[in-house]
Amino acid sequence: MRLFAKLGFAAALALGPAAATAQEEPIKFGLLQDFTAVYTFVSGEYNQGQQDYLTLVNEEGGIDGRMFEAIVRDTGNEPQRGIEAYNRAREEGAILFDFLSTPVSRAIVDQAMQDEVVLITPLHGRGDAAAGQTFPYVFPVMATYWSQAAILADYINENEGGLEGKKIALVHIDSPFGREPTPILEDLAEQESFEFRAFAYPSPGNEQSAVWSEVRRYRPDAVFIWGAGGGQSVSVREAIRNGISAENIYSVVWLAETDAQNVGVDAMEGVKRYEAVATGTDNPILSRMVEQVIEPGLGAGGEANVGSSYYNIGVATMAVAVEAARLAIENGDGPLDGTALKNGFEMIEDFDAEGLMPPITITTEDHQGGGFGRVARWTGEEWEPVSDWTTAYQDIVRSEIDAGAAEYSGGN
Amino acid sequence: MFYRLSGIHHTGYASAHRLWSVPADRWQVVAVLALALLAPLFVSDLYLGSYVLPWLVWSAAALSLSLLMGLAGQLHFGYAAVMAIGAYTSIHLAQAGVPFALAILGAGLTSAVIGTLFGAAALRVKGLYLVMATLAMQYLVDWVIVNVPAISGGAQATLRTPDVTFLGLPVETLSQRYYFALAWAVLLALFFMNVKRTSFGRALIAIRDKDFAAAVIGVDPFRFKLMAFLTSSFVGGVTGAVLAFCYYRAVTPEQFSFNVSIQLVAMVLVGGLGSVIGGFLGAGFVLLLPIILTNAIADLGASGWIDLSQNLMAHLPLIFYGAMIIGFLLFEPLGLAKIYDNVRKYFLVWPFRHSGS
Amino acid sequence: MAYFLELLVNGALVGLMYSLAALGFVLIYKSSGVPNLAQGALVMMAAYAAWAMVDFGLPLWAAVIAAAALMFAFGLLVERVLLRPMVGQPVIMVVMLTLGLEILLRGLVPGLLGAAPKPLDIGIGLAPVIVGDVFMNRAYLVGGVVAVVLIGASMLFFRTRLGTKLRAVSDDHVASWAVGLSVERAIAISWGIAGIAAVGAGVLWGSVQGVDWTLSSLLFPAVAVVILGGIDSIKGVFVGGLAVGILGSVIPGYLDAYAGGSTRDVVTSLIILLTIMIRPYGIFGREDIERI
Repeated sequence: MRLFAKLGFAAALALGPAAATAQEEPIKFGLLQDFTAVYTFVSGEYNQGQQDYLTLVNEEGGIDGRMFEAIVRDTGNEPQRGIEAYNRAREEGAILFDFLSTPVSRAIVDQAMQDEVVLITPLHGRGDAAAGQTFPYVFPVMATYWSQAAILADYINENEGGLEGKKIALVHIDSPFGREPTPILEDLAEQESFEFRAFAYPSPGNEQSAVWSEVRRYRPDAVFIWGAGGGQSVSVREAIRNGISAENIYSVVWLAETDAQNVGVDAMEGVKRYEAVATGTDNPILSRMVEQVIEPGLGAGGEANVGSSYYNIGVATMAVAVEAARLAIENGDGPLDGTALKNGFEMIEDFDAEGLMPPITITTEDHQGGGFGRVARWTGEEWEPVSDWTTAYQDIVRSEIDAGAAEYSGGN
Repeated sequence: MFYRLSGIHHTGYASAHRLWSVPADRWQVVAVLALALLAPLFVSDLYLGSYVLPWLVWSAAALSLSLLMGLAGQLHFGYAAVMAIGAYTSIHLAQAGVPFALAILGAGLTSAVIGTLFGAAALRVKGLYLVMATLAMQYLVDWVIVNVPAISGGAQATLRTPDVTFLGLPVETLSQRYYFALAWAVLLALFFMNVKRTSFGRALIAIRDKDFAAAVIGVDPFRFKLMAFLTSSFVGGVTGAVLAFCYYRAVTPEQFSFNVSIQLVAMVLVGGLGSVIGGFLGAGFVLLLPIILTNAIADLGASGWIDLSQNLMAHLPLIFYGAMIIGFLLFEPLGLAKIYDNVRKYFLVWPFRHSGS
Repeated sequence: MAYFLELLVNGALVGLMYSLAALGFVLIYKSSGVPNLAQGALVMMAAYAAWAMVDFGLPLWAAVIAAAALMFAFGLLVERVLLRPMVGQPVIMVVMLTLGLEILLRGLVPGLLGAAPKPLDIGIGLAPVIVGDVFMNRAYLVGGVVAVVLIGASMLFFRTRLGTKLRAVSDDHVASWAVGLSVERAIAISWGIAGIAAVGAGVLWGSVQGVDWTLSSLLFPAVAVVILGGIDSIKGVFVGGLAVGILGSVIPGYLDAYAGGSTRDVVTSLIILLTIMIRPYGIFGREDIERI
């Protein structure tokens, strides 16, 4: 035992100088996502956006001379593969991780906090991770599903003649993710005195006709659809088929251009969705990316994806992460490790990625960044925002976050 | 030369039936065990925590399933559900303050009871129909877990394992958890090898080979099939608990999905039905191959050896994995255990090509 | 009442669309006794093939025909390369082999053609067909009709000369050999036809939900259809499809509100389990299943 300890000590001595030169090493992000299973509908474009943004930062000289490197691996949505990929990437020196897979993120949360590396969980993972005191190293960064439901409800309240007396149906996939908005909407129904009912369809959602027969008889004034992938376009089709006006369909963030093509671009006109990030290339960051990354042929994937909804979400996540790294390097004196990066995240204030996303402020308490977003409407060709960046009912969302975090602290 | 067989002869049943009667085999077992015991000292945390540890737990799972599929010949495509029952039982018991040893026992018992209900279908049908019946049961168990928040653990559907001590020994750090999993895998392997030598094991094999022939010689298929399900589900439930406490340290429904059942069957088949070493080799193959392929392909891509789209690169491991399962079934249906056996036989008579007889 | 009728009609049509996925399974099992658990993956591959042809610029009808030709050839290939060496192996080996094929296809096809969902527009509008207060799903109506046509065609096919040979082969391999029928060719053709049936299922389901790998999960309802109807009966595919579709629509339609979740998969699982416990050979299956 002592022999091994000595060996370890010798190894540490030998590695000492190497650690000192590590400053010149690139900053590594582990983008270990699911490219082959449940999340295929988003991972390709999302990851392409992430990689292209990091390439842009490197092309522009990096941050303070430091370059960024993405470690990209497939986890197939399997926790054990995610754990291996996480441990390996951590060994390679990654200080930030994004799994874009709820099962894998859940499996890593404890380990990441113990290892003191940053885990970002934009639009996936535990919603209650927004509670920064309980989850110091986990950053949802974007609005949780609770905040998304709140923003959609708020839109109806502000623009569609108020929530009072309305009937709202939540048609969701039968999984923990699908059920997530239920408590928020129940609380809101009480507060704003509207009627609310949830309808579940079986996973993966390719066949939902029985549920929609029931929804139609409920005669809702607005329908929230809460699913992902192919199930979303089936939901929109079934809703329209059952006589629900496209204008009254509201979707979670997972409804993109591909789904519109699937439903039929004209048939889907009027459908609204929550939007975390602006779509299209009409933005300073995106136009620089087109100029410096895409046109020289440095892009990580097909050009057609550039500017799509999921691509831009990927860009925004990395914009936030790079901003955090910048703040950490500017304000810290030690090496840039997980803790420094975490502190960098918590210094982010009113950052909007040059207009690509709502201005977010991350604090030690609030890792969600305020729960911002807006509502966008499908015009038949593109997603057109119909509200400003906003945040809604954060008191109710916060109580849900705190309840979840308290449960986590209690052992779950 | 490597296996010195001279002087090995049996003068009684006891010696003829002893495990590892050839000294060279004994030395190999001792060497592997010694390596396994010392592993935390010379294997880095990365490989210990994400390769060796899950390999041990999955080997235990493959052995538990092989008890049913390999020895008794009963197909089971819902074994992940059996393990899920064990994992959820143990975690709820442990959270309620029950000592870990008892929680594990409870996990085994609950799995045994529910798993034997699965087995009731085996009294009626076999072969393909048993595959379908167990598959349907997997879906039922999944549905119950996802739809009963009291089981799955509320809105986030995640239950974290509390820190536990097993009969006074803490099971917290990586090496502690490793040793616990190792102990369970070794225990299960020993149990498996010994079951084959008991009347119970022979009865199971008789039923596997032809059930009414077994009935004719006085082996009651009803009783022994149920007992096979009972035993296998018990150890499967305990393995589920070990998986939860030693490896994942949290339980979510996705950890025990239908895909995992398929993987377990693949482990047993690729390893070799009813073989202990096959259980370990098969688990290693099915569990680690996709991981190793993913890393190898990513490295090749990074070094510019292959220039493919990200999408195809991500799918390559899946392609190889499927192709290798097919390849095994086509070219070596007896699995990795048979390959091991061929190699061993080669060295058994080395430097000669064949044995004399 | 209208609610019940609507659940009934839409459920029946959906069930028929499940039958399309199940048809290939039965054809192969009937001729060779091989349970093809890769049928879902074949459906996915067929849908991808049709999408790729349309994307290439072919009109829909030509794309469907080309996809059918491709899938027929692929069926022959799979039989020749993978299944023929497995003759005489235990059923578990064959089951695992087809599962291995499923994994392979799920990697290969989306890997080459793209994993993100692809739209496949076959020109069926969204407007429902309304009879009284019953809204019928137009896409499912088309799907149901196509399913009935294909199932009917398969039944008629078994009355042709080639079909009679296939029936003989499915009855008794050795006797067929003895009278000079090529068992191998008959089995190969049944795989080819299963490939064509997969095109029907793939195009219709692909137009409803988009083309991606999740199409291969149609295997589960298809298995329920096959078990209930009888694993070697084409009549059974029709009746089983109707029953699985109707039960899977009507029961959740009334129960979901109380169960607090979607009960359709429970219904499907129970159909499989109860059939196996009560009448393992299904409604129309041949009763020569070895029992214990």
